[in-house]
Amino acid sequence: MSHHTAPSTLGLEWVLGNVQLGVLVLDTALQVRFANPWLLRRARLPAQGVQGRALYEIFPGLRGGQFEARLRHCLDTGFPALLSETLNPAELPLYAPTGPATPDKRLKQSIQIMHMPAEVAQAVGERLVLIQVSDVTPAVARERLLKQQAERMHAMAHLDALTDIGNRRHFDLMYAREWRQALRAHRPLALVLFDVDHFKRYNDHYGHVQGDACLKAVAGVIESLANRPRDVVCRYGGEEIAMLLPETDLRGALQQAQLVLDRVRERGMEHVGGERGVLTLSAGVACELPEPGLAADTLLLMADRALYQAKRQGRDRVSTLQQADTL
Amino acid sequence: MKLGELEHDALVEVFNLGVGQAASALSQLAGEPVLLTVPKVELLSKQAVLDQFGGAIEQRVSAVRQSFEGALCTEALLIFPAAQSLRLVQIMVGENLPLEDLGEMEQEALAEIGNILLNSVLATVSNQLELALEGSLPEVELGAVSEVLLAEHDIGQPLLSLQVRFEIASKRIEGYLVFVLDVCSAAMLKSKLAALIERLQNEA
Repeated sequence: MSHHTAPSTLGLEWVLGNVQLGVLVLDTALQVRFANPWLLRRARLPAQGVQGRALYEIFPGLRGGQFEARLRHCLDTGFPALLSETLNPAELPLYAPTGPATPDKRLKQSIQIMHMPAEVAQAVGERLVLIQVSDVTPAVARERLLKQQAERMHAMAHLDALTDIGNRRHFDLMYAREWRQALRAHRPLALVLFDVDHFKRYNDHYGHVQGDACLKAVAGVIESLANRPRDVVCRYGGEEIAMLLPETDLRGALQQAQLVLDRVRERGMEHVGGERGVLTLSAGVACELPEPGLAADTLLLMADRALYQAKRQGRDRVSTLQQADTL
Repeated sequence: MKLGELEHDALVEVFNLGVGQAASALSQLAGEPVLLTVPKVELLSKQAVLDQFGGAIEQRVSAVRQSFEGALCTEALLIFPAAQSLRLVQIMVGENLPLEDLGEMEQEALAEIGNILLNSVLATVSNQLELALEGSLPEVELGAVSEVLLAEHDIGQPLLSLQVRFEIASKRIEGYLVFVLDVCSAAMLKSKLAALIERLQNEA
């Protein structure tokens, strides 16, 4: 026997029987002419008895869906059709060879439908339709995992490891975004910078471990008071925490800052080096209605100067620059 | 080779008919209305098409390629600037993931979108111009626009280039439909187009 010719029909049948993807062959009347073992096992169908039956009798769920529409179009035009998993997750009722056959366990499928070219059909004596089904369940799971990891990495890269609030990188990103947004919408943007009073003395007296715990507690209080979806709280510097308040006027921002200061003082965290024996904060508040040409860091500089002013005026207070001070 | 005014108008009509059918198929898939229009059709050299991408031949694009053979031979390409293809898939899938690139599964979704569009357009062309055609399955290509367009043919080759506009959920995405034609096929297209115009004139 020559080794240079294609295998016999019997040989090809063996090949089709062992191909590791679903193969379904229909005639133009949509009756099943052939289904390979891979497909039959996953469709939980017997090895015999499928041949000659109508496609929609075997798989009634395919009626009225994308599959039927695309198969119809393929028959009308002769052009092949692809049904991707992303847009049509599980058209056929296929399940892993073992385990439950419940709707949530359907295999994720990528399906290709082809109509035999007219020329070939003439030689064969009939025009067949080939449907190939690949199981892409593992690929889908792998991509989902990668996406979850990417999201987690993204979140981690923007989180301050000590306080669990946003870090400086996150703040810079959010600040740039909100400034642009405020500029476009002609809405005010407010910023509050908080700083723990006499934090160096606190660290020196209670040690760094206690100092870390103190910062964490303060960050928790500030974050619990930033309730609107676009409010942002980030660790800005060593013991400085920034609160970005979109769509907020100066009065609102001052109130919010005062609320934070009151809450932290009320907690009565001991601080022997503090003015009142308890831990307190100072806050600098700034608010701007951004205009084209106004430098984006204006708000930062003003909040920073206001914070300095609050410290100079005796700490444990909220301060903002008067119009005259900003000139 | 150039298109006359009548030929241009006839082609715009045929292609708009084609993308109209694709739009209804895509609307079903997306679960919301998808509007497709072809504002412009041109018979250009590859160089001129590259120039349309702002001369930036290194611009990254995503393309869906299908070949059609029969009365004429053509490689049909649906091309999007990479960022636009990403947005299109995200809108169609209805997810808002912070993706930077098309993953394996998203590429397949793009292949399907391209497949629906190219099949509908070619079916209408084949019907209206009475050209018998067979098609291949779609393949996705990612790369610089020059690589995608100049894959195997020379730069002087004529291309039929259409701008395609997708409007979904009040968002607009623009891509290009490009048909690579050999000289024989371009001539065949023109003669079939002339026949269509004559038929239409006789009917009128």
